[in-house]
Amino acid sequence: MKLRLNKTVAAVASSALLLMAVPAVGIASASGAASKPTYTIGYEGPLSGGNQQLGLNMVFAVQLAINQANKTGKLPFKLQLKTYDDQGDPTISPTQAQSAVHNKSLVAMVGPAFSGATAAAEPYFKAAHLATVSPSATRVSLATSGWNNFFRVVADDGVQGPADANYMVRKLGKTSVYVVNDGTAYGSGVASAFAAQATADHATVSTATVPGTTQCQNGTASATQYSAAATQAVASGAKALFYGGYYCDLGLFLGALKSAGFSGAIMSDDGSLSPALIQGTTPASAANGVYLTCACASSTNKSFNLQYQALAHFSAANATYAPEAYDAANAIINAMKSLKKITRVAIVNALHKLSYKGMTKVIKFQKNGNIAGSAIYVNQVKNGKIVQLGLE
Amino acid sequence: MGGFGHYLASHLVTMRKEFWFLFVGGVANGFLYGMVAVGYTLVYGVLRLINFAHSEIFMSGGFAGYFVMKALIGTSSPNGFATVYLIIIGIVAGGVVGAVVATLLERVAYRPLRKRNAPKLAYLISAIGASYFLFNMAGKEFGRYSISVPQPYINHTVFTIFGAPVQLYYIVILIAGVIMLLGLDRVVATTKLGRSIRAVAQDAETASLMGVNIDRTIALTFIVGGALGGAAGFLFGLGTGVVYTMGFTPALKAFTAAVLGGIGNLRGAMIGGLLLGVAESLSVVFVQAAYIDVVAFGILVAVLLFRPTGILGERLGRAA
Repeated sequence: MKLRLNKTVAAVASSALLLMAVPAVGIASASGAASKPTYTIGYEGPLSGGNQQLGLNMVFAVQLAINQANKTGKLPFKLQLKTYDDQGDPTISPTQAQSAVHNKSLVAMVGPAFSGATAAAEPYFKAAHLATVSPSATRVSLATSGWNNFFRVVADDGVQGPADANYMVRKLGKTSVYVVNDGTAYGSGVASAFAAQATADHATVSTATVPGTTQCQNGTASATQYSAAATQAVASGAKALFYGGYYCDLGLFLGALKSAGFSGAIMSDDGSLSPALIQGTTPASAANGVYLTCACASSTNKSFNLQYQALAHFSAANATYAPEAYDAANAIINAMKSLKKITRVAIVNALHKLSYKGMTKVIKFQKNGNIAGSAIYVNQVKNGKIVQLGLE
Repeated sequence: MGGFGHYLASHLVTMRKEFWFLFVGGVANGFLYGMVAVGYTLVYGVLRLINFAHSEIFMSGGFAGYFVMKALIGTSSPNGFATVYLIIIGIVAGGVVGAVVATLLERVAYRPLRKRNAPKLAYLISAIGASYFLFNMAGKEFGRYSISVPQPYINHTVFTIFGAPVQLYYIVILIAGVIMLLGLDRVVATTKLGRSIRAVAQDAETASLMGVNIDRTIALTFIVGGALGGAAGFLFGLGTGVVYTMGFTPALKAFTAAVLGGIGNLRGAMIGGLLLGVAESLSVVFVQAAYIDVVAFGILVAVLLFRPTGILGERLGRAA
């Protein structure tokens, strides 16, 4: 049922997009003939297949940014959107990249959305000096492959653990932390990065592996382990606990921590950032106060949310990476504004110099294309709801 | 040995509070394992087969309890007398649905095979198939994520042992477990049904010649075992939430407990459950929580090496 609903929404949404795109192109070329030149901003991401929703989340945000820019009438050019559907698939991505590169009016690209697809496409974009600004590709190595045209407005996978540790130790002032991981590659990766940085911040760190359970289809351990694991956490005397893993097992653990009388601060990663965490915690009140961090932002900007809803016909509240896609598109538009003569190379250079106050964060890139400054958002469970507190 | 003994003693002193907390939790888990283990052992007694779909009876009881608690409690937070009444209703709901699922299993997955004198391997495959069918159907119907059960009480600390808090949840399990296991023991030992079960377990053919209705006895055995398994599912779900895969590990542990105590032996299953629950919980005093399952199955192998028939031995067809 859920799947069918999603597909219906997606179908309605994509047809709405088509309807919008067609007149937009018509108007652009009509007025372009009068005076202003028209440039194309591309979007590459999954617009069909299993990850379609993520792509739709982003593409509506890009369209919104372009519509708004055109509407001001102040720009010396018109913008239009062209989408390239790679299904998030690294084998499809190179053909889409080549097709984009050959589109002469295309000056820059939002995307690609997925890391694998980005890695596969980037050599073609680089050869064409086409700037790509990804809202969501987080693989660390993307920034270290020597692609001068690669940018991203989201923090990479290596940032979260250390940023969380700094927040816990420096901002919250917790000098002893019990660091737990669920034994998965993801959970133990984040947890060990956290532990290393917390130690560097002079906190007392003890670590434990509490493997995922069959209850959560995330391992083979039994849920009965959590009361024991919670007892150990209490016995450690730590003032805070960090959990590297996913929401389902964290939910079981939170109930046990409450029973065992753990009173310190609890923090976890974006694997735990889901309303299902609260739903799966017994009692639900045991989830209150838990900090959840993510490189992703959820939009709290009312005007953006309204306009996004009007365009996409679904809410921006659950549209993961929509705010980042909006910022990526606006970063490109702002780089274009600063130029007298717009070429692909000039946009790449302008992006390297850009400092623009976006919706999620200040968009300023490091030399390697990574976003500069803090880019991890911290959320907290308050009265059974996840509330975004801001950047760490 | 002395060095280790000393280490053990000092460890126990420094962790006395944790020790007792873990001990209480272990006893509670042990009762849950015991309640599920008797289901395995009863069925083994009468049919000589391991009902591998018993984990799904447990899961069904958990969901039954969840839906009843959700309907009755909603967002309120009951306490006092309402708590007692809600817990009894939850146990009954879990037990009834467990018994119904067990009956269906017997009718659909086992009886047709029994009527055709199928080999034991066919029962095993039938059981595994039924198990996969049931938990995947639950996943499809109820969602594949963990759902917390509305709490019929405020889980406060009732009293402490050496500073270790003993919470209401554990006391509920202890009371329910003692009543149900003692009750079952008496039923099997003293009633006509119990006599039939023991008779079929001892020698099914002779029992039928003596006028015992084998089909009925087997069906009732499934009902009794299913009721306890379902009730245990409710009690487990109360503490950790319900999800379609919730039966897998607890049932595997309970099966272990049944073998540990001596499969087919009712009191053996109860003792095996308690021993396993306490041992795995206390193992945390010495090693990390991650080793719980290593310890649990290590104990099983160790016991079976020295007593291949389990702690109390296979005493089929006896009262205990």
